[in-house]
Amino acid sequence: MSEKKRVGVQNYRFIELEPTPTTAWGKFKRVLKRSVKLELFVGLKVTFREMFKALFMGEMHTVKYPLEKLPISPRYRAIHEMKRLLESGHYRCIGCGLCEKICISDCIRMDTRYDENQRKEVVEYTINFGRCIFCGYCAEVCPELAITHGGRYETASEQRASFSLFEDMLTPIDKLKEQKEYPGFGAISPNADENIKKTPLAY
Amino acid sequence: MDGYIIGTIIKAVLILLILSALAGFGTYLERKVLAFMQRRLGPYHVGPYGLLQILADGIKLFTKEDFIPAGANRIIFMIAPAITAATAFIALAAVPLLPEFTIFGIKVRPIVSDLNIGLLFVIAMMGVGLYGPLLAGMAQENKWGLLGSARTAVQFLSYEVVTGLSILAPIMMVGSLSLIDFNNYQAGGISHWIIWKQPLAFILFLISGYAETNRTPFDLLEHEAEIISGYATEYSGLRWGMFFIGEYTNMITIGFLASLIFLGGFNPLGFIPGGIAIILKVSFFFFLMLWIRAAWPHIRPDQLMWLCWKVLMPLAVLNILITGIVMMV
Amino acid sequence: MSKEITITIDGIECKAKEGEYILNIARANGIFIPAICYLTRCSPTLACRLCLVEADGKRVYACNAKAKDGMNIVTQTEEILEERRAIMEVYDVNHPLQCGVCDQHGECELQNYTLEMEVDEQHYAIADTKRETKNWSSVLHYDAGLCIVCERCVTVCKDMIGDSALKTGPRGGDKLDKSYKETMPKDAYAMWNKLQKSIIVPSNGTEYTNCSDCGECTAVCPVGALTERDFIYKANPWELREVPSACAHCSSACHLYYETRFTSIDDPSEKIFRIKNEFHYQSLCGAGRFGYDYENRNVKKDPNALKRAVEAIKKAKTIRFNSMITNEEALMLQTLKEKFGIKLVNKEVKPFQNFLKVYGKAKGQMLYSNSFKDMSSSDFIVSVGAKLRNDNPAARYLFNNIQKINKGAGFYFHPVGDTLVPTFGKSVSVFNHKVGDEEYVMLLLLDLFADKEKLPSEIKEKLASFKEKRVKKVKEKVMKEVVEKVVDKESGEEKEVKKKVPSFEEKEVEYEANLLVEKLGGDVENFNEEFEKALKKKEDFALIVGEDFYFHPKAANLAKLVALFEETTDFKVAFIPPKSNALGVALICDLDENEEGFVVGYNEPGDFKISALGDGDFDIPAMNQQEGTTTNMNKRVVPLNAALDYEGYELNDIMNELGLGKNLTIDWTEALPVEKGYQVAKFDDLPNYFANDMSEHRGYVLANMPVDKEEVIIEEFSESKLEGQIAYRCNPQRQFNDFTDKAHQIFEPFALYVSPEKAKELGEFVKVEFENGEGLELPVEVDERLSGDIVEVPDFKAEMDVYSLFGKNRYAQVKITKV
Repeated sequence: MSEKKRVGVQNYRFIELEPTPTTAWGKFKRVLKRSVKLELFVGLKVTFREMFKALFMGEMHTVKYPLEKLPISPRYRAIHEMKRLLESGHYRCIGCGLCEKICISDCIRMDTRYDENQRKEVVEYTINFGRCIFCGYCAEVCPELAITHGGRYETASEQRASFSLFEDMLTPIDKLKEQKEYPGFGAISPNADENIKKTPLAY
Repeated sequence: MDGYIIGTIIKAVLILLILSALAGFGTYLERKVLAFMQRRLGPYHVGPYGLLQILADGIKLFTKEDFIPAGANRIIFMIAPAITAATAFIALAAVPLLPEFTIFGIKVRPIVSDLNIGLLFVIAMMGVGLYGPLLAGMAQENKWGLLGSARTAVQFLSYEVVTGLSILAPIMMVGSLSLIDFNNYQAGGISHWIIWKQPLAFILFLISGYAETNRTPFDLLEHEAEIISGYATEYSGLRWGMFFIGEYTNMITIGFLASLIFLGGFNPLGFIPGGIAIILKVSFFFFLMLWIRAAWPHIRPDQLMWLCWKVLMPLAVLNILITGIVMMV
Repeated sequence: MSKEITITIDGIECKAKEGEYILNIARANGIFIPAICYLTRCSPTLACRLCLVEADGKRVYACNAKAKDGMNIVTQTEEILEERRAIMEVYDVNHPLQCGVCDQHGECELQNYTLEMEVDEQHYAIADTKRETKNWSSVLHYDAGLCIVCERCVTVCKDMIGDSALKTGPRGGDKLDKSYKETMPKDAYAMWNKLQKSIIVPSNGTEYTNCSDCGECTAVCPVGALTERDFIYKANPWELREVPSACAHCSSACHLYYETRFTSIDDPSEKIFRIKNEFHYQSLCGAGRFGYDYENRNVKKDPNALKRAVEAIKKAKTIRFNSMITNEEALMLQTLKEKFGIKLVNKEVKPFQNFLKVYGKAKGQMLYSNSFKDMSSSDFIVSVGAKLRNDNPAARYLFNNIQKINKGAGFYFHPVGDTLVPTFGKSVSVFNHKVGDEEYVMLLLLDLFADKEKLPSEIKEKLASFKEKRVKKVKEKVMKEVVEKVVDKESGEEKEVKKKVPSFEEKEVEYEANLLVEKLGGDVENFNEEFEKALKKKEDFALIVGEDFYFHPKAANLAKLVALFEETTDFKVAFIPPKSNALGVALICDLDENEEGFVVGYNEPGDFKISALGDGDFDIPAMNQQEGTTTNMNKRVVPLNAALDYEGYELNDIMNELGLGKNLTIDWTEALPVEKGYQVAKFDDLPNYFANDMSEHRGYVLANMPVDKEEVIIEEFSESKLEGQIAYRCNPQRQFNDFTDKAHQIFEPFALYVSPEKAKELGEFVKVEFENGEGLELPVEVDERLSGDIVEVPDFKAEMDVYSLFGKNRYAQVKITKV
């Protein structure tokens, strides 16, 4: 009936439909054909089969959400995580402020100071998740791979502004071994080594 | 005589309570079955397997604001749901629900009133049920409600005809309008079931039964996609709940009628005692309604009319003629 | 002056003066030549070698090559680009990759040029040397690891500031691999060779700089090596909002940017984090750079206080104020005087106003003719009556800059000994004259520079009386012939050899002695020769007149002498107004001598105190919280902008309550008196920037209005009556007023400042008793650069009322007793 069109490269199939009958006889024939062929019961069969599968063959689709959660893609961009250095356990953030600068919803703020070891110390760091749009720019711009997105997607809060502090997002020190590198936005590309020109060393 | 009145009252109250509860349970079952057929879980949070969801919904319905639109005819608006619920229950008065049994030494006939025109009464009462949606839709001053009530009138009146004609043939065979007589007629076992003699009548009755109870594929009265909620658009809270109870009670009534008229009623089925047998049969019909809702799309209003007047009614008349001819011969 | 020439840079014709550096010409014409080490007003360092260009086919460094007429300059050739890229690569060798935490991150010239030269690969390497991070002073922080030894800090400290507190020292780095010499571009190798050997250290050989803590070195540092200790790691440059304004502390009113940001996560209110300046065009002092957080904090509108203030003004007989005030506020006070007859008392400005009046009448002009800006081209500068180091940093920088850049000479006349001024240059002559001899200073200057014809006869006579024929002994080098007998080794013969041997003979020479020089503490014997030497090739002369002249018993006579001097010489003359907006107040307000009755103090003590310091009965905004203008010593009306929010009432609100107000404070800007040289200009139309060619576009310049000229009659000179211990009213270097004192980075206390030798004598805490019997109890602070016996009493705290103690003289006779 319809022309076969190329729709993408997916495996679409066009179903050949019979023309709609126009004469009374034609219509009657169609009713008869459908009734005799018991097409209606095919529908009943399908639904019953699905019920059977769901109940007895463990093919239930529902996930009992708060109790069980679907595994989420490791590249999912939800609530931020602050990573630690694997060897020393010290947090990676150096307080450069690039995330603060690039944040298009202006939700990141940090206070830094000159600490006793002559290093830049992050005194306080907040992300206002009431404003964050999870664009991932902060993770992309971070030179230390310190701020990344994580899998905690439950961001609902009782107030419009919901601030998350540095300590809340930081990998707990006892879970350092479970810390995984984030493969998504801002991560080192797999072929990074090929793109870098090596600097000579004198020692 | 006093005992008869007290017994009747007790029976009426029991039926009212049990069927109301069953209507609620019916909603639970419907949600559950539909969910399973779509491979979902359905309600499962409240209580074990979500059983207390009925209670939660009940509480919700009770506590919801009883809203009456400003331009509505208040009295009719308030009465309409009651008509639906009441007629649904009244219809059940002439339906024998279970076989006779003895409890505390008293012989109980689980029928409120064994009228000799029982079947006619039931059909009549269900016909009166038409007034509920009709008045509700016209009283609420709402376009969708009005459309809903118009559809109600058309659909119920039309299919009333088919219902009546389709069971005329079994009535001719049994020679009685009492449903107990129908039951007794089929006492001989499965082979005596009227369905074998009147398969066409059975199918016609079932189809028109769906139409009368406003079930898929004939759920045009409150078709959400077209007319919001039809006659129930402006209803909320308990009044809306009464429409619901009426609908589910009607579903059970149809189930009983179909079992009693065509499928051997509460006669024992082999080793299965009669009481269990009829419950199984009614349950099957209830399930079938849900199943069909899960499987089939509904039809257009014009197709509804076409089906009624051009297909079902001629077939019903034909069936009566053939039955009559066969009986005469 | 030098003649106009035309040169071509990259095909663009540029007009310039002969002898100008090519780089400066390019900058003035908006042509980009990369350069890290060169600062516009300083001498070329030749450290970075990036400004390499081709002039008529020859490779020269644009920063130290002088332009000649018709020169054709190409800024980019393939070779030059290669050279520049190699230089940038070398700069990047071992530069720590910690841009993320560096305070310069985002405005770093190393970053910029590395990108500009497209350095994406490193070819050179050398072992790194450990370099320690150091705190050089209470404000300076040096991270040697980040330093690229461009020597800008050394240059600016020497050429502009005059402290010369920094120098390059040994780095202790490895020697370069010899193979680089062949393979590397020449200039890059030379630059690296030097870089690898040096690092910046304090020039006094210790770990700490002994300087005036102006922080200019932190401003000029192209990388994050030199930073202010207070600012380290607090905020990133890009977060800061730049508010162009002017410094309010001294009369120089230097252009600066307040850089503000929210205080912290917990406190969203704006805060000034630091000061930035256009260091190519104007240098800041320590007070300007560090004395920024004097705002009147947490002020809300208090209608009751306003009511009380209005009552106080109605009741007032006198308003007492100082020069920390905008032109607009001064005009409001003047309006109050006109309407209500309230007396205006300003002890800082009144003598200056009197001085200007006398000077004006003698000169026929309301103001001094030149600005300090004009003087930057001078090569001979004379400073009279100004304690250069303390009174006005801009004047001091000018004096120093002329010595260093224009190869100039200078005379510095002042009674108080200062060890810094002589170090400005070899040709600086310091005259530590006696207190009160300022008239003779002017007389000497007239003698040396004036056109004698034009001088009145009594001056001529006076001059003649100071001339005397004297005889001095001079050692003269004479070549004598000596006959020696030498034995020839081979032949054994004796020979007589004639040789010429130098010997010194003392000889008596008659010379004309200038007794004035002797009187003023100069070296009479050699003065004539030295003066002749200093005057060689000099063609542009300048005179700075300082505060001592205004606060002087014979101030009127001095004013006339200055006017006479200006008339009879071709000197450029400019005055240093005593305090921040003294010139504005002197022009706008009609000041009275003495206070009487109910006194309303305006940032000053009084019966009712209106104050921007947060300690008064009625709050007004401080100078960094309000818009307005100030009149600076260059006779320029420059705009001040509000860096911080202020939510309280202003003086204008009181004026409104009295029915005299205008809509906004800045609406008064248009009303500034035109007859005093101000313009009818809207505040919002006033520009505030420097252009590439160093021209100043800030506000407008006052017109020098003519006044009726009166005949100059020079009075008899007088000798000073001060004897014994003398105190001098003078602030420490970074203190000017209560506001600098409020700033958290300025630590100089209110104390008696004395020379190191005097300190031994005085101990730690003394009582200073003045002639009128009143006294101050002060701790003793040593000013390392002070010499001599005179002690300094600061005046920056208004409540101490030091002006009353000194009266109309900057010097006073005191009795100091140990406590």
